[in-house]
Amino acid sequence: MKKILYLLTGLFIASSFVACEPEFSNPIGEGTYTSGSADFSKYVAVGNSLTAGYTNGTLYKTGQENSFPAILSQQMSLAGGGAFTQPYLEDDVNDIGGMVMSGATIILPPKLIINASVGTPERINKVPTIELTDIHPGPYNNMGVPGAKVYHLLAHGYGDINNVLLGTANPYFVRMASAPNKAVIEDAVAQNPTFFTLWIGANDVLGYATSGGIGVDQNEANNLDPSTYTPDDITHINVFGAAYSQIVNALTANGAKGVVANIPDVSSLPYFTTIPYNPIPVTSQAQADALNAAYANYNGGLQLALSNGLIDQDEANARTIHFEVGANAVVMEDEYLTDLTALGLPSIRQATAEDLIVLPAKSVIGVAPDPNHPELVNGVTIPLIDRWVLSKYEITQVRTATAGFNQMISNIAASKGLPVADMAALMEQMKQGLVVEDGSMYTADYFNGTNLDNLVFGLDGVHPTNRGYAIIANKFIDVIEKAYSAKLPKVVPAQYPTFDILPSN
Amino acid sequence: MVLVFLSFGSIYAGGYRVALQGQRMLGMAHAGLSVFENAETAFFNPAGISFLDKRLSVSFGVSGIMSHVKFQNAQYNWSYQTDNPIGTPAYLYVTYQSTDNLSLGLAIYTPFGSSTVWNQWAGSDIVNDISMKVFYIQPSLSYKISDMLSVSASLIMAYGSVSYNKDINRYLTDEDGNKTNAQIESGVTGSAGYDLSLAFRPAKDVTFGINYRSKVIIDARYGKAEFNNVPAFLSQKLRTAGFSAELPMPAELGVGMSFKPLKNLLVAVDYNYTYWSIYKELRINFKNGLPPSVADKSYKNTSTIRIGAEYQVNNKIFVRGGYYYDQSPLTAGHFSPETPSLDSNNYTFGLGYQMKKWAVDLSLLYVDGIERTDYTLVRGEGPTAHMFGGTYVNNAIIPGIGFTYSIK
Repeated sequence: MKKILYLLTGLFIASSFVACEPEFSNPIGEGTYTSGSADFSKYVAVGNSLTAGYTNGTLYKTGQENSFPAILSQQMSLAGGGAFTQPYLEDDVNDIGGMVMSGATIILPPKLIINASVGTPERINKVPTIELTDIHPGPYNNMGVPGAKVYHLLAHGYGDINNVLLGTANPYFVRMASAPNKAVIEDAVAQNPTFFTLWIGANDVLGYATSGGIGVDQNEANNLDPSTYTPDDITHINVFGAAYSQIVNALTANGAKGVVANIPDVSSLPYFTTIPYNPIPVTSQAQADALNAAYANYNGGLQLALSNGLIDQDEANARTIHFEVGANAVVMEDEYLTDLTALGLPSIRQATAEDLIVLPAKSVIGVAPDPNHPELVNGVTIPLIDRWVLSKYEITQVRTATAGFNQMISNIAASKGLPVADMAALMEQMKQGLVVEDGSMYTADYFNGTNLDNLVFGLDGVHPTNRGYAIIANKFIDVIEKAYSAKLPKVVPAQYPTFDILPSN
Repeated sequence: MVLVFLSFGSIYAGGYRVALQGQRMLGMAHAGLSVFENAETAFFNPAGISFLDKRLSVSFGVSGIMSHVKFQNAQYNWSYQTDNPIGTPAYLYVTYQSTDNLSLGLAIYTPFGSSTVWNQWAGSDIVNDISMKVFYIQPSLSYKISDMLSVSASLIMAYGSVSYNKDINRYLTDEDGNKTNAQIESGVTGSAGYDLSLAFRPAKDVTFGINYRSKVIIDARYGKAEFNNVPAFLSQKLRTAGFSAELPMPAELGVGMSFKPLKNLLVAVDYNYTYWSIYKELRINFKNGLPPSVADKSYKNTSTIRIGAEYQVNNKIFVRGGYYYDQSPLTAGHFSPETPSLDSNNYTFGLGYQMKKWAVDLSLLYVDGIERTDYTLVRGEGPTAHMFGGTYVNNAIIPGIGFTYSIK
């Protein structure tokens, strides 16, 4: 009997230390995630700043670490994906981005932050440590080159440091190119990708849009020579199509599968939607009267031009400047108005809801640049110059180009059996509020001090934050799963960084 | 004082109820409403003190809770498990039959508690770790109306404290990337309740028992919230703040019976009904102007069914076994990982060794949680709530040892 007692007691004690863990009926493990008909073993991401992880006005270390291709590659690693390298940024010791040349000249400014003491975005008050001449030849899996237009990916010398000052090389690509004479696409293809993402083309139209349309719409100029283009131009659609085809052909030559992504509309970017067309407050009738008096000669001149048949009634109405108590539209230059300089009348009008004021105009509008003439105020008595406003006509140019490029992208993708990640639609949804998988809602608004929880875009107003890139990575995952019967885990956008808010700068 | 050397249960079942109030009864499924063998009855059914065949009985014991909760969600490739410390709830009971009709009882025990630690995980904006410690001090008067019937009334003095850490939200960090979190300490606060019970023995080997333990609201009025890893721009806003919060300990009604189908075999069946629906929300009101933190709980009342048996091998050795089914009070869509309580099958084993005045009881409880896929809604990031959920599974192994000293 004692033996039994000892035995039972021993059993008790032993069982207490057998901490057997609970098990799921269907645990995550081998087979949960699959690549389907795709092969993720060598993933290469080709594109521009959106692929590089550029955010808050520059490319910095954290931004790159959380680029959408980096996120995607982490998820792919659960389904046969291999290592994923990104261009060298170890020298970004303060995590602020920007770039210097020869340790002295700042050629690219560091990241934008919010200075909480004034509540506005500013460049962080530190000197970049990323050195242009510190070249770490690739190729890298992440072939996102900030600033690249579609034809740049094919350009030789785009990575040659000697061309940086000429403006024909890209400082980011200089640091990452496998050799100075290599084109971006050559470095991409040299890696023999089994899978690729291609998101290129936004700069071919956004460069024009973000600069308020100061450049040239090369479609109107019918200029097919990209070597004559400036960064502010709209690429000719045939140049776009030819380059895009060549890039896709190169990427798919060895049978690689992938996803291409299209270009968002300007109206979905807070860069264009944050500053209202009518930000000028007039508080008294006396003030309104004074302003109207200042434009009385101009308005009178318009009537003269009308009666002489130089302009029609619509233009006369559109150009007549009128202030009243309340919120008033800015006065702006518009190169697309009838030239009446012979009558001494400038090409100006007040903005309408159909014009888009660009984000950097915020620091210009309402400012009196000459302290001796406080009555001369930007946007009121000094018309805003072209670069601060994307006018109605310029918007049409941008929209036409975007639609054309996106059609081109769809056609070329279809011809190769590639799925298109519809980023234009995704961004369009964000205007209304995009509800993601977990129920959180995100909007395409600019930071206003209280909406940090729901922001997608960073402080430059054009590029997503890393949170936004997480949403984009999830979108790519959706498309990959559907097209290739793959299964990948999503990420939670809310867990990704946005931007820094500092007590002072 | 008790708090100093005891840490209480890890979550393993039934909300934050920790049903480990006596090793002898735990061996037989914790079905003690109608089994009156030693001082443990001061907890289970104080009316039964009158039916003890001992004038004085003192029981004390301790359990060691080793619990694991696992969580996964394939949508995000989340796999985490708790790193709970070993909980050691303990008890001390004294019963004394002062006259033929009047008996006294004193019970000090830990009916509620939890300790859940999730490390570096996806739900850190809901909980990083939480520890709740509650103990009751319950003096009882038991009055024997007849040889068949006894009743009792008890006063409950409850003391509790909660320590809770969670991240502010899913993204806020300090300048070095450390998550900004709130550490909430309620301090120890006291509250009161009561217990009423009845014991009825219509025949020699058949006993019935009813016990009702009232709710107790632990009202933490002088809590303190501290914020860690606060980014500089929020340092004025997220400062140490006082807070108040109410944490309810639900009422519990139990009905039980026991009988002896064989000479050496005792069988007991209990039914417990716990009034968990009192736990509607956890609201933390800060005293420094921060908005209140409100988590919807919407608990539901639960039933527990227990069946246990004791076989007397000889006059010294007792072998016990039992089973009970425990319901989770968490309702669908309110499954929060700070108290990841699952419906569970529970198996108990016990061994008793009776000496002249002393008795030693060993117990072993195996909790087998039933896998559940559920979620909770989390507020505090913008105008919409977000979902946090996945599949949970748990188990626990809980050995215990108890001692009883009795004088006839």
